[in-house]
Amino acid sequence: MAVGVDGDSADEQAPITARRPGEGVRRWSHGSRVPGWDDAADLTKDPAGVPDPATTPVPADLRAEIEDYMSRYPDHRSAAIPALRAAQERYGWCSPEAIEQVAAVMRLTPGYLSAVAGFYDMLETQPVGRRSVYVCTNISCSLRGADELYARMEEELGAEENVNLRHFECLGACDIAPMVSVDGIYVGPVEPDEVAELAEQIRTDAAPLPAKQLINRKSVDPGSAPR
Amino acid sequence: MSHTILFADIDEPGLATLDVYRRRGGYGDRLRKALQMPREALVEELKASGLRGRGGAGFSMGTKASFMPKGQIDKYLVCNADESEPGTFKDRELMQKCPHMLIEGMIIAAYAAGANRSFIYIRGEYVQQAVIIERAIEEAKAAGLIGERILGTDLDLDLWLHRGAGAYICGEETGLLDSLEGKRGNPRLKPPFPANQGLYQGPTLINNVETLATLPHIIEMGAQEYAKIGVQNSTGTKLISISGHVERPGNYEIELGMPSREIIYGLAGGPGEGRSVKLWFPGGSSSPVLTGDDLDIPYDFDSMAKAGTMLGSGAIIVADDTTSVVDVALKTAQFYKHESCGKCTPCREGTNWTVKMLERVKSGEATPMDLDIMAGVCENIIGHCLCVLGDAMAMPVGSMIAKFRPEFEEYIEQARAANPWGSSEPPSEALAAQGAFA
Amino acid sequence: MPRPQPPTITFSIDGREVQAPENTMLVDAAKLGDVEIPVFCYEPKLGAPVGACRMCLVEIEGIPKLQTGCSTPVKDGMVVHTQTDRVKAAQESVVEFLLINHPLDCPVCDKGGECPLQDISYGWGGGKSRFIEPKRHFQKPLELSPLVAIDRERCILCYRCVRFSQEVAEDYQLVLHERGAATYVGTFDGHPYVAPFSGNIIELCPVGALTSRPYRFRARPWDIEGSGSVCTLCPAQCNVTFTVRDERVLRVLARDNAEVDDGWLCDKGRFAYQSVHVDDRVVQPLLRDGGELRPVTWERALDEAASALRRAGSRVGALAGGETTNEEGFLLQRLLREALGSEHLDSAGGVPPQVLHALARPDLQATVADLEFAHTVLVLGTEPVDDMPILDLRIRKGVRRHRVKLAVATPRPSSLDPNAKVSVRYAPGGEAAFVAALTAALFGGDVDGPARDADADPDGIRAVAELLRAGGEDVVVLYGTKLLGAGPSVAPALLKLAGGLNVAGRPGAGLLAVPGGTNSRGLAEVGVLPGMGPGFAARPAGDAALGTNGIAAGLAAGDLTALYLLHCDPIRGLPHRGRWERALDKATTVIAHAQFLTEGLLAHANVVFPAESYAEKEGTLTHPDGRVQRLRTAIGRQGDTQPEWWVLAELSRRLGEDLEVISGPMVSQQLFDAVPFYAGLTLDVIGAKGVRWAETAAAAFPEAPELGAGGDWTPAALPNGALRLGTFRSIWAAPEVERSPALKFLHPRQRLEMAPADAARLGLAHGDRVTVGSDGSAVNATVTLRNASPSGSVFLEDGIPSDAANVLDGPLVDIRKA
Repeated sequence: MAVGVDGDSADEQAPITARRPGEGVRRWSHGSRVPGWDDAADLTKDPAGVPDPATTPVPADLRAEIEDYMSRYPDHRSAAIPALRAAQERYGWCSPEAIEQVAAVMRLTPGYLSAVAGFYDMLETQPVGRRSVYVCTNISCSLRGADELYARMEEELGAEENVNLRHFECLGACDIAPMVSVDGIYVGPVEPDEVAELAEQIRTDAAPLPAKQLINRKSVDPGSAPR
Repeated sequence: MSHTILFADIDEPGLATLDVYRRRGGYGDRLRKALQMPREALVEELKASGLRGRGGAGFSMGTKASFMPKGQIDKYLVCNADESEPGTFKDRELMQKCPHMLIEGMIIAAYAAGANRSFIYIRGEYVQQAVIIERAIEEAKAAGLIGERILGTDLDLDLWLHRGAGAYICGEETGLLDSLEGKRGNPRLKPPFPANQGLYQGPTLINNVETLATLPHIIEMGAQEYAKIGVQNSTGTKLISISGHVERPGNYEIELGMPSREIIYGLAGGPGEGRSVKLWFPGGSSSPVLTGDDLDIPYDFDSMAKAGTMLGSGAIIVADDTTSVVDVALKTAQFYKHESCGKCTPCREGTNWTVKMLERVKSGEATPMDLDIMAGVCENIIGHCLCVLGDAMAMPVGSMIAKFRPEFEEYIEQARAANPWGSSEPPSEALAAQGAFA
Repeated sequence: MPRPQPPTITFSIDGREVQAPENTMLVDAAKLGDVEIPVFCYEPKLGAPVGACRMCLVEIEGIPKLQTGCSTPVKDGMVVHTQTDRVKAAQESVVEFLLINHPLDCPVCDKGGECPLQDISYGWGGGKSRFIEPKRHFQKPLELSPLVAIDRERCILCYRCVRFSQEVAEDYQLVLHERGAATYVGTFDGHPYVAPFSGNIIELCPVGALTSRPYRFRARPWDIEGSGSVCTLCPAQCNVTFTVRDERVLRVLARDNAEVDDGWLCDKGRFAYQSVHVDDRVVQPLLRDGGELRPVTWERALDEAASALRRAGSRVGALAGGETTNEEGFLLQRLLREALGSEHLDSAGGVPPQVLHALARPDLQATVADLEFAHTVLVLGTEPVDDMPILDLRIRKGVRRHRVKLAVATPRPSSLDPNAKVSVRYAPGGEAAFVAALTAALFGGDVDGPARDADADPDGIRAVAELLRAGGEDVVVLYGTKLLGAGPSVAPALLKLAGGLNVAGRPGAGLLAVPGGTNSRGLAEVGVLPGMGPGFAARPAGDAALGTNGIAAGLAAGDLTALYLLHCDPIRGLPHRGRWERALDKATTVIAHAQFLTEGLLAHANVVFPAESYAEKEGTLTHPDGRVQRLRTAIGRQGDTQPEWWVLAELSRRLGEDLEVISGPMVSQQLFDAVPFYAGLTLDVIGAKGVRWAETAAAAFPEAPELGAGGDWTPAALPNGALRLGTFRSIWAAPEVERSPALKFLHPRQRLEMAPADAARLGLAHGDRVTVGSDGSAVNATVTLRNASPSGSVFLEDGIPSDAANVLDGPLVDIRKA
């Protein structure tokens, strides 16, 4: 489709809002806020159709990885999440460029993929630190001090640019509550006096609390003891 | 316990490898036996075992498999490993320590369902477990246990691990299917049920990890023997996850019908010394709460239903008498608000509204009338939603208001006294910009 | 695939016994018993119900939980209640939930008065709210596109707009971001939602969240009237309702006709109404005086035109453009033939009239709806989204809902390729060879030879043939009539295809043409063809009558001296611009009816009569599938405009021939009497939805003579450093679009579409400015790389005001960096 958005279109029709995106609404600033709600479309951009491979280069290894995922499913769209994860691992987050590259390989619109990315907690639609540090603050963990743990973690790591420290819903490890997931490595129970050590390990890319890693934990069920 | 099936020798070194698993009888005679049974007989065997789904809904596994249509069409088996119900972590331990048990169960289920393609949908947060399963699948493929003509039979089966990316709703089976199809994980209207139109519109059998992992044992023991364990309508053993205020949190394999007190106090050690159980969720955070007075209810599907709650995923969360019920209610509501997919009105708006009201209770801006509104909102959610997520908030929160109303009222009075002017000042711009409280 | 015919069942609703087709969704079946079940998200046109809004909960006996009426198919004996306390409580709670975050800013909302949310809140809501928290407040309204404003406060997340984008238009541009209560409608990274059908989301929105920027605050529902008519901007002839206030068209809405448009409109049809009320419309007669067109009185203009025509006599040629109605075309041929004695008139762009006659056979005609229910559809030599946009949606619907197997054969990559089972490309200029190869693949003969001449993949052609042969009996071939001009062998091959696939007389199968002009089919049927009168009656003049190409040559050679242009500017609209420049230079007199002074008229017309816009017209059009449809006057004529029928009759009278018409309907009746297969039609019979004459009067169709084999084809030109030129006309290439302020942003700029390999060879990159030349003529363009573009050919756009492709004669073009 031949569509060009001419620069002079603004003369034809005055913008409908006096305020521009990004400006806050003063009244009711304590009402709901969702990033994006206040954003208009940028009329100087072209519509976002399926990116043409001729004009959207994709690194060969990323393309190969995505195509491998696509080959696993009867409908190649199933590869959307693995493909977005691959792009996120490469670029640090699902940036518009990352999404466009995935779209070019998967022959989908970037809109479709951005809708998928926005739905899932682990796909990042804003730039974040590369280290994912999730602190579970759901019921079981909070009964065992997760909110205090999060506050301490924030004191330690809140200013680290490289760290994506987040509250997280139940991570499925209430047996080691309160717990933290460091790039997928579950550690817990994290005692208050261990927070500084854990933070340092995260900062220095060392193994987090090796003695408290879930992967090494034995079953508590007496019936599971070797017979 | 007298019956340890799934967790027998679960900590044996190397159990996650094919060799050790085989040495313990895995992929052996029982699998051969299952694959040599006529398909109908296998489905009957599963029905006879009385095995009910271990994911939360508790539907008969054999009956579900029998719904799969016959005929030469593409059929699918999907393992729901999106263990996300707060308080639940049993599948994690099973997958991490004995992935081949799941794969063996899937081979049997695929044969029963007539499926040739299968997927394990594991929640994205389980990174280490995904690596372990992926390795196990590769081993199984290399050994010819996944692929064409398994064990020399006519069964062809393809299996891939699919990692989610963080959304509770993908544990709902149709939300999981949409997610597996590469979409936003919105639940679908039912009917059609997955057995008729599931993944890629094809007939699909979806089962929980624990359910599938139990199948090899049912074949090995025979359905009749398996059905002898447990109580009527709740046969077999169940993995339960206990967490919160107990001395020994963790997963336990129990025989269904065991008194709850024995689980909470006997196995898990109960709350610390000098404390008592104030309230507990018997089946994950979606189940209406029980109190310290309910500890003698037998832990099985029917008894829990009779007590007005549910066994759910078998996750017991215990809160002792130091806990504020308002905090538990708010945490619960916030969780479901955060995880609501937004597709249907009562869930999207109702969970959001409930959180706002509970926040006012916390900040001292509520009156007891708000409790009536909250109870009314919960009532308006229940039974009106597209899937069960809305109910999953409304039922526990509603039960907390019903059972602890005096405490809520007392809290409201105290919070109002502490904050007589309310929080009429808006929070800082910086806080608003975070968008944390939509 | 025959259309399903469900049996009728009886069910009970609120104590009433109601009959309905089985498996109708309950909300629709309830209407048959005069029971309304409120809905927000349900819209059957969008596909399977989603059950998201929960507004339609009803009680069904035997089912404990309340059920959504939108997704429950009705069965025999079902007992339904919509008025019980339980149902009322559920409905009130859903309304309460929906309104907690809705701003209730109805007084300043453009939707006020025609808003389903208002109606349902009033009808089914509790009338009170218990919500005392602060509501959401956002910036509003915001631009979603130059055409659509979005107000996210008002959105109730019914999913309709995103479902349209994803499941009807399949452009996947409009999506939901985030989840839960934070969900919002938006696009990727702030790109505007610009797509051929984007405006439909405005009509779908059940609240004031999506509003039309051109219509916002132009009127309240009680200020306006709706006036049903037909859009004449393309051959799709979608049924529309004009929203009229004080004799001005303020809005165009779809007027759902399942047999024509399925209830959708393209953005051209929805927004180009603005061109009716622009300043540069011609609203009074103009006469060239001192080299310039100046306003004159009607008397003067008619006199000048009449005397010029009298002087030219039988040396007048006439061309009718696609927007000409049947009535106007009919009177034009009477003027030429009866008053002037000239047989030189055409509306078909040079396609031989015998070919049109042969292909108009009623037993060969597929209908628009057949595209949805066929086993196999072949799209041949046309891009529906550009040439007849609404069919694009119909084809997608067939593939998506009814598993229609689609084959696409075009020179340029098609937007339907991703939906097609097989897509095959052929070279521009290789049309005839391609069709020959396809018939050979189907019915035997050499495939490789003609495939080579068409530069097409012979295996792809065989795959298309296999799909047509084995896909099922109901085959529909949708072909662009541009093909018919590619050589005398094309039409016989098409007929052979139809014969061999046994589509003749088979309901649900057949051929469907995508003509170049809105009413091309009607104009052919009423006799605006060289050598053929109304109803394809052969004229004695026979081959001596000149068609489009003959008229150009005749004017250039001086054999013809005057040209009568009814809604036609050959410089803009026809190929070979250079040839027409020479012809018009040479012509003594050029008389035109026009709404706008396009390039050719500005430079060459001597007399210009102001033409009615489609909102002002009455008359009939004939759809490409043979449906005669009625245009009705929505607003008064602008300025001094007079109806074309009156002008034609008046000129004829001045030339001494009384056509005996004193009103529009009289012309219609004359024409229905003159065309045998229009017999029995009256304006009343045509009514609001039109009548297909193939269903009512097929027997009166005069048998067409055999066409013969048509001889050999010419191979497509071989790229020899220069590349083959292909042309296309975008949906936006129309004078009405250029003149509608709201659509100005869509102004096409010439782009040269080419394959990356060709560009690399020529050292060109995406975005480079180039000059494309052939035979001394040249146009400027911007290089646009497309991965799917076939190597060896480049594509330029036609029908645009500057740098249009018709400047170049081709078939090969040289490309140089500008």
